[in-house]
Order: sequence, then C-alpha cells, then structure tokens
Amino acid sequence: MSHPQDLSLRDQAALVASGELDARELLQATLDRIEERNGPLNAVVATFADDSERMLASAPPGPLHGVPIAVKDMFQLPWRGPRDGAPREALPPGESGVYRLLRDAGAVVVGVTQMHFWGGGSTGHVSAYGPVGNAWSAEHCGGGSSGGSGAAVGARLVAGAVGTDGGGSIRLPAAYNGITGLKGTYGSTPRDGYTHANSTMGEAGPMCRDAADARLLGSVLFGRELSAGASGRASGLRVGLVRSPFWDDNDAEVDQACRAALDATGWQTSEPVLAGAEHAKVVTVLRLTLEGLPNLTEEDLADADPLTRALVKYEMLLPAHWLVRADRVRSLLRRAVAEAYESCDLLAWPTVSAPAPRIDDPHVVVPSGPTSPDSVNVRQAGIGNLTGQPGINVPVGVHSSGLPIGLQLLGPWGSEELLLDAAEHVEQATGRQWVDAEPPTAEREAAA
Amino acid sequence: MDAFEQHVRAGLELAGMTVDDTDLAVMRAADAVYGPGFQALAEADLRDVALEPDLDPSRAPRPA
Repeated sequence: MSHPQDLSLRDQAALVASGELDARELLQATLDRIEERNGPLNAVVATFADDSERMLASAPPGPLHGVPIAVKDMFQLPWRGPRDGAPREALPPGESGVYRLLRDAGAVVVGVTQMHFWGGGSTGHVSAYGPVGNAWSAEHCGGGSSGGSGAAVGARLVAGAVGTDGGGSIRLPAAYNGITGLKGTYGSTPRDGYTHANSTMGEAGPMCRDAADARLLGSVLFGRELSAGASGRASGLRVGLVRSPFWDDNDAEVDQACRAALDATGWQTSEPVLAGAEHAKVVTVLRLTLEGLPNLTEEDLADADPLTRALVKYEMLLPAHWLVRADRVRSLLRRAVAEAYESCDLLAWPTVSAPAPRIDDPHVVVPSGPTSPDSVNVRQAGIGNLTGQPGINVPVGVHSSGLPIGLQLLGPWGSEELLLDAAEHVEQATGRQWVDAEPPTAEREAAA
Repeated sequence: MDAFEQHVRAGLELAGMTVDDTDLAVMRAADAVYGPGFQALAEADLRDVALEPDLDPSRAPRPA
C-alpha cells in the first residue's frame, strides 16, 4: 500500500472501518509524514502524540473513526489553548465546539496548523511561528489565514484539516495550495472555543483534496449529512459571472484557467451586476478589522510583530462613519446577491487574482499593476463573508509559475450540498486533473 | 510633516500611543492600497440605502 496520507480522507475512513488499515498505524504514519515534510513548509505548529493516542483510544464509532485531522490554531483543545498565530494563548485549553464534533465523529486531532498573525492576512508570511510555505513551492506563501491547513493538506501531511474564513481565509489558501476549501454559511459551526467567536464574518469549514472529502469532513463540522447528488442538478446549473470587479483585474492565466473550467462544465452563464460590489473590498476590511479591535489588549499589541502592530494603529484611526457606511453597503450587497439568486444557481469568479507570491517578496502582479495580495484577495473573497453565503474553492489549473489556480463558487445561504455537487461536476468536467495533481515537492519525496 | 503624518501622530497621541518610523511607513503603504477605496466609500451616495433591520448573516435577507 502507498503511504496512508496519499489516500483520500474517505478512503482512510473506509479502510479503518473495514479493518484493512490499522488506526494506530495510520496515526503514527501521519506523525511521521508531518515530521518528514513539515520543516520547509512550517504548516503544522504543534503535534502532541500522547494526546492524539489518547483520543484514538477512546474514539467512538463514527464517520471519521480513527482518521487524523489537523485543526487551525483558533480552537480550544482539552490539552492546548489556541494562539491565533500570536505568541501567547488567546484562550485557555478547553473543549471547543469544533473539537467536540470531531471527537464525537471518532476523529483524531493530530496537529494544530499555522495561521497568519491574528488571522489578519491572506499570505501567511506573518506569524509568531514564522512564515507558512506553499505545498507547491516552500519559497512561496502558503496563504492565510488558514495557510497551515491549506499547505498541510496540499503537501499530504494530512487528508483533512479545519480552517476558518472571515475574509476568504479558507478559500484563498485552498486556491494557493491547490485544494478544495469550503466556507460554510455563517453560523454553520459552533462558536464556543473559537478565538473569533464574536465575528459576524468568520465561519469554519473543511479543507481537503477534493469535494468528496470536503463533503465527509463538512458533514461532521456542520452537523448534518451533506449527501452527494442531493441537489440533483449539478450538470445543468445557471451560473452568474459577476464581471466587475471580480473578473476585471486577474492574471491572464488565472482568468483563462477559470473560464476553461467553466466552459468544460457546460453550465449556462450570465453576467449579473451586484449593486455595491465595487465597495466590497474596503467594506470587508472595515468590518473584519474593526470587529477584531475590541479583543486586543495593550499586552497583545506589545506582543505583535511590527507590521501587525502598525496595521492595528492604522485601523484605530479609521473614521467611525465609514463603518456605518460599510454596514449600509453590506445590506445592499446582501439584497443584491439574494436578487441574483432568483436567476442564477451559483456565482463564480477566480478565487485569487494571481498565484501565491514569494515569501521574501509578498506582492502580486495583476493587470492594474503590482499590488498587495491582501488587497486583491479580499476583493475576490470578502463578499462571501459580508453576505454570510457559503463558498468553495475548486482547483482548476496550474500557472506557468508552477503554482495552483482556483475557481470560486458561491451559493445561496445553506447551499453547501449544491456547492459540493457543483465542485464535483467541475472536477469531473476537467478530468480530475487538478484535484489529483500532486505537488512537485511531494513527487520528489516519493521518488526519493 | 505632511497632513497624513500629522493626522497619525495627533490621533494616536490622543489614544495614548506612540508612532515610530516603521509604523508610519506601514500605515502609509496601507493607505496607498486601501485609501482610494475608503475615499470612494466615503463619497458614495448611500442616503437611500436602508440598513437591513435584523441583519443575520446565517440567512438570506427578509423581503422588504
């Protein structure tokens, strides 16, 4: 048998359930894989073999019985308080809601994944634990804020990880690392024991290699069965491509790969206009950053790296009336999106405008010029958080730079099953070429 | 000292915080990226846009 972490999450679960794969051997092999591959990636910030073994020893029967899962550093575990990418614990150890869901499904928490400092960026190059590398090139950013989860799944350290998404933080690193990441509808997962529980933007979700695995882990996290084919209409969808601002300013290869994938699906497309979409980027920035400020203490600020500390100071000077304006635009956007779903089943555009930037030069180049990746990433993803609707990244190509390209699909509130069906349809329409693609780093190690 | 630096220094001094050169450089860079968008938001005519009275991101907005 190949290394068990080269198996899908669902195959791991099925083989453990049938007795063909010993769960203790799977756990040990996973810890070994993390030890072997994590160094240059810095995707996993902590493992705890004894705690994982104890969790396995008392694991109940369930859909993930004996299957290792990594969790972003935002959730309380009984043996570890989350750090949020910062030096100190943001919460004490405890049983977060997400932990309880995993435990009750029989899963084994095998590690905690890295994240951008306080979740405040889409690159992952700023963290108290060092930058997160990309699964396809460790010199490039693994993304953020759930970059550790993205890189860990992409590089096959684990087959499933939990991420959170307050401004694209599941979908963006999923795109950067060539994996499938699903942000649930706001409120789909429990908030207790989550460091950003007060956010009106953030939501957890599964990060896996493909939609079928995301369906398995998502069913556990969302506490409801996300049945395959339940929508019954993945091949005949009406998809809205919102040209401005989401298709206007993307790297040419990214644009081309996303359009080719959509063409392959045979879906009917239209170009709806969303009132207020031109403001979605800064409205996301305002909501996301200002919601975080009340949680910060002087001690937190003293601990922060110079870049993060300066950005917090900038945020403190933003005029209050801008937030009032932002909330009016949020209402406008929610109404506009709801109206779009009267004639479209899904909305679609590139998840990221350009592939992951280098860690030592974290800038991207788009047709409007070189810019900060956060700026274009929040523009592409933030509307999903402002409105609360679910969204998924589907791998649809590899750029000439050697880095993955992702297509984003957004659906109406509660449409996770439809999104997963649609993502599987994209996978099939593209011959599973991109979800089954192995990062060159993993290929090299396999050859060695 | 330009208007941006005056604003930053005075605003943070009122909040009891200091500003160093790194802070200022980062804040200038952030303002170059996001400032035009903030300005456009500040100038947008939103007088007729009604706030959703019971905004709940977990569901679609209720019909007016």
